[in-house]
Amino acid sequence: MSFWDLYGQKLLVAIGVHFLYVLAAVSIGFVIALALGILLSRAPGIAKVALPLISVFQTIPGVVFIGLLFLSLGMVPATAIIALAIYAVFPILKNTYVGLLSVDKSLLEAARGCGMSKMQSLFEVELPLALPSIIGGLRMSTVYTVSWAVLASMIGLGGLGEFIYIGIATNNNALIVAGAIPSGIMAIVLSLLIDAVKKRVTHAPKKEASAA
Amino acid sequence: MIRFEHVTKKYGNSVILDDLSFEIKEGEFAVLIGPSGCGKTTTLKSINRLIEPDAGHIYVNGKDIAETDPVKLRRSIGYVIQQIGLFPNMTVAQNIGVVPKRLKYEKSEILKITRELMDMVGMSYEEYGHKYPSELSGGQQQRIGVLRALAASPPIVLMDEPFGALDPMTRSSLQEEIIRLHKKLHKTFVFVTHDMDEALKLADKIIFMEGGHIIQMATPEEMLENPASDLIRSFMGKRAADSAPVQLTAADFMRPDPISVYKSRGVRECTEIMARRHIDSLLIKNDDDTYAGVVSVNSIKRSGKTTGPIGEVPIAENAVSYVTEDAMESFDKLLNSDKDYVVVLNEDDTIAGIVTKTSMAKAMADALWGDAQ
Repeated sequence: MSFWDLYGQKLLVAIGVHFLYVLAAVSIGFVIALALGILLSRAPGIAKVALPLISVFQTIPGVVFIGLLFLSLGMVPATAIIALAIYAVFPILKNTYVGLLSVDKSLLEAARGCGMSKMQSLFEVELPLALPSIIGGLRMSTVYTVSWAVLASMIGLGGLGEFIYIGIATNNNALIVAGAIPSGIMAIVLSLLIDAVKKRVTHAPKKEASAA
Repeated sequence: MIRFEHVTKKYGNSVILDDLSFEIKEGEFAVLIGPSGCGKTTTLKSINRLIEPDAGHIYVNGKDIAETDPVKLRRSIGYVIQQIGLFPNMTVAQNIGVVPKRLKYEKSEILKITRELMDMVGMSYEEYGHKYPSELSGGQQQRIGVLRALAASPPIVLMDEPFGALDPMTRSSLQEEIIRLHKKLHKTFVFVTHDMDEALKLADKIIFMEGGHIIQMATPEEMLENPASDLIRSFMGKRAADSAPVQLTAADFMRPDPISVYKSRGVRECTEIMARRHIDSLLIKNDDDTYAGVVSVNSIKRSGKTTGPIGEVPIAENAVSYVTEDAMESFDKLLNSDKDYVVVLNEDDTIAGIVTKTSMAKAMADALWGDAQ
């Protein structure tokens, strides 16, 4: 029996589960990060304190955090997704914040002088101009999350990590590789995809986003 | 149209606007000028409430703007900034349409306005409308910047050193265009600059500020004729003095105190002076200091004399002007004679100076661009 006959089915499921973890976690993280980034960019005073605090939090090993969350939430997919989402927040948050602050001050004045409200200035000028930086953060988060999602299997939640952990435990190199290669490919493909999106939005800035 | 009443603005301890009161009439092209830190930009920005004064009132069309919603106020006032400030994520047409869109104009109406405005500055909609600002030159960008300010047809347009960052050629052509637009559109323009040439060229009324006060508010002619302070005079440079065309005389253009010797000086001494001063001729004067003529190195050589007084060498004639003579006549003499200079004499025939091509050019440069000292 070949490797594929033995594990093929399982591998496909694991790839699917892994991808769903990444998708869910990054989506949630993105929304949170964008909102937080916008809020912090309106209050740079608070941001100066908040951003370093968040970055310290980021240094807590994922294993510890996912373990703690497991104790309180139990063995449900939400545990893995919440943990991954929280880790996905920081790169996007930081890039959103930096991107918004680096918008040329004269453009903000022009926007004000043209009679744009704060919301209009944010949605029609600041966010479009910060978009390349925000997408850069998204890409970073996605790549990290693909590798962090391996931890989900640590609390029995499947994904490609399962192959890697079982492979290590049973000293089966084929299993380790079978887990590692797809996750590597997933990271590369997703990052190329996001790069393509970034190129699109920065090269031909779309029609004005309709704002409130 | 725009009225300031006792407007004061402070940043910490420094007073930017000090109890400022003035009025700009409808349709006027008012230029705010003064040294940096004089409050001209602050004055401008308080008209559309980008800056809020600490005390006093500003009225636009009789309404106190402090009681107007700032966002609505700004949509009724055009605004052009030095950094141009076109939104790089929007096309040229979208930039022009920013304010009309806020005001909920119909799409077709916005398009029509955009085409008309672009035609007005000679940039066709077809060619430029869908370009992004980064694809335009600086001058073209600022043209669009001005059009954006005009798009919703506001009665007032504020311009904060709009041409400050452009090269002189582009600046000059944009100045012409802004004059044309002002004539055509009958709007009230308020324009900040630190360049007096620009102010004189554009303004119906120049408002000269210093230290948060208005030093003088006058038409360009009045200000040229009658600058209210030395600072204004220095801003105008030479122009103020030239406003009443002064009759220039030979004295204005001559180089004073040329090298001259008495007839009784020795020939050898004279050749030595010429060698030392790198000149090839000397002005000769009689014992009573009156002008006698010119002796050149060549005539000394030809006479073969190496000793004796210089008076014995044949003295040549040279073109002569009097100090009171019209400058143009002495230029004519200089250009028509084969000599390198015209000797300028005082009324009593003593030597006053010489007019050379160099002294002439220098004097003209001084008159044009101010004393280079």
